[in-house]
Amino acid sequence: MRAALAGAIVLGATVLSGCANVSTDPREGGFFGGVSGINSGTYDARVRERDERLAQVRETQRALEQETGQLESQKSATARQVEADRVRVQKLNADVAALDKRVKTLSAQEGADQKRVKELQTRLDTLKRQMGQQTSALDALEGSGLGDAETDLRRQQLEKQRDGLRREYELLMKMQLELAR
Amino acid sequence: MRSMRRVLFGLGLGVVAAVHAAGPSDRVVDEVRAHLREQLAQPPSEAALAALRRDDLTLGLMALDPHARFIPAGEYRPPLMGPEAWTGIGASLMFQAGEVLLDVYRSGPADRVGVPGRSRLVTIDGLAVKGLTPAEIATRLRGEPATEVVLGLISPQGASLRAHVRREAFRPLDVEVVEPDDQRVLRLREFIAGLTRAAFVATIEFMQREGAPAGAPDAPLVIDLRDAVGGDLYEAFDLAALFLPQGAVLGEQRLRGGETRAMTAPAGTKLNMPLVLLVGPETASAAEVFAGALQHHRRARLIGQQTYGKCSSQTDVVLSDGSVLRLTNREILLPDGRSCSGTGLVPDLVVTDAVFADLARLLERARPARPKG
Repeated sequence: MRAALAGAIVLGATVLSGCANVSTDPREGGFFGGVSGINSGTYDARVRERDERLAQVRETQRALEQETGQLESQKSATARQVEADRVRVQKLNADVAALDKRVKTLSAQEGADQKRVKELQTRLDTLKRQMGQQTSALDALEGSGLGDAETDLRRQQLEKQRDGLRREYELLMKMQLELAR
Repeated sequence: MRSMRRVLFGLGLGVVAAVHAAGPSDRVVDEVRAHLREQLAQPPSEAALAALRRDDLTLGLMALDPHARFIPAGEYRPPLMGPEAWTGIGASLMFQAGEVLLDVYRSGPADRVGVPGRSRLVTIDGLAVKGLTPAEIATRLRGEPATEVVLGLISPQGASLRAHVRREAFRPLDVEVVEPDDQRVLRLREFIAGLTRAAFVATIEFMQREGAPAGAPDAPLVIDLRDAVGGDLYEAFDLAALFLPQGAVLGEQRLRGGETRAMTAPAGTKLNMPLVLLVGPETASAAEVFAGALQHHRRARLIGQQTYGKCSSQTDVVLSDGSVLRLTNREILLPDGRSCSGTGLVPDLVVTDAVFADLARLLERARPARPKG
């Protein structure tokens, strides 16, 4: 009996000690914590807190999913723009190749201003190389691994450059027409 | 003028390689003589032309024209095409006063792991670079895609760094946006025909769409030309014309025989924000023409160190065997009628080497002065 009483005192002390140190940290869960929680009502608080945390996690997850969706959508929009740019550059490439062919014919014609034809040919060669670079730069853009801002900036630089090259092509077309007269 | 050499990883090194190539045929040397006779900005004497020898053409050419080069067939890369994609760490090497510096490209592998621009390279994979030749250093930095190299560095601020850089395919932007602290800086390294101005305008529009930087509202646009080694002259004029009113003189070309042709700013898009240009010993040729025009019209404040001093333009002539002769065919004059060749541009604010290497400290000097009181 004495021994049993001693045991109860020890247990009581432990329980009291547990009550005095209520913790909701799950790492301190254990048996005594659980008992103290039930006795003091903290267990309910913990359940509520966990529910709240769960709700927060779900909310964060929803926000992340939304953000990912936006990023994916931006990514596919960028991919679509890149594809459209590629089509435009391919068209310009074809135009430049056709112009190159015409200039070569022109250079064979008698009476053509050979110096200007040569100048035209030099500029065309540069334009062709630059168009080639535009194509490979657009290809590289898709798998660039760059951040969105950098990808966007690169795409915008390429777009402006493509417009500039188109104007250069139109100028060369005019020169070719003048020379063909 | 400080001497600095640069190695670009993955970019063509045709000019360097040409020095070591076998000499051309006698017929080709005759073609070289003929082109020099007809086109060189300073007409050479017949005796000097006759002295050109096939087995020592490079040195002979340089005696006639310091910027002349002979590039053997197959080693020629057309200039002014802009950077191509290369595989590496996304940086170039600069050799200066016994030090090896890394010039880091925005958004490249080295930049993404936080290597600061102009960091001093101390070790590569644990091996000290001191005592290694530039070629040996370049070889150790190059490698297959997806492999890693560990760099021991000292930042411009003096901090020791260790960076694990993964090599990968990378193509630098034609105009880079650098964002140190709260100020945006545009970095130009080359003036590429038909491409740089377009990329520049696109970048300004991009920045405007993204919103102004968080810094002072009157903070100037800063263009970093410290590594701009030249490029297409017309592109440099076109870019300068963005900041100058229609009709402003951009410069003059002095052709063979002394004839000059003035270049003036055309109408079109104009940008009116305050402007600061960062310049230094590597700022050369087309970049000096660009900076010189804006400095003359007091449109930009130049900060940094004296520039390289090359206000001349070259042309490439393809010879019958496919090799190429590069020769100087005109001198470029700044709007005040002087050439920068041999003298360079003197910045409005000259800074020490330590400040020059540290972009953040340079930008402190670029901020507008606040009224006292």
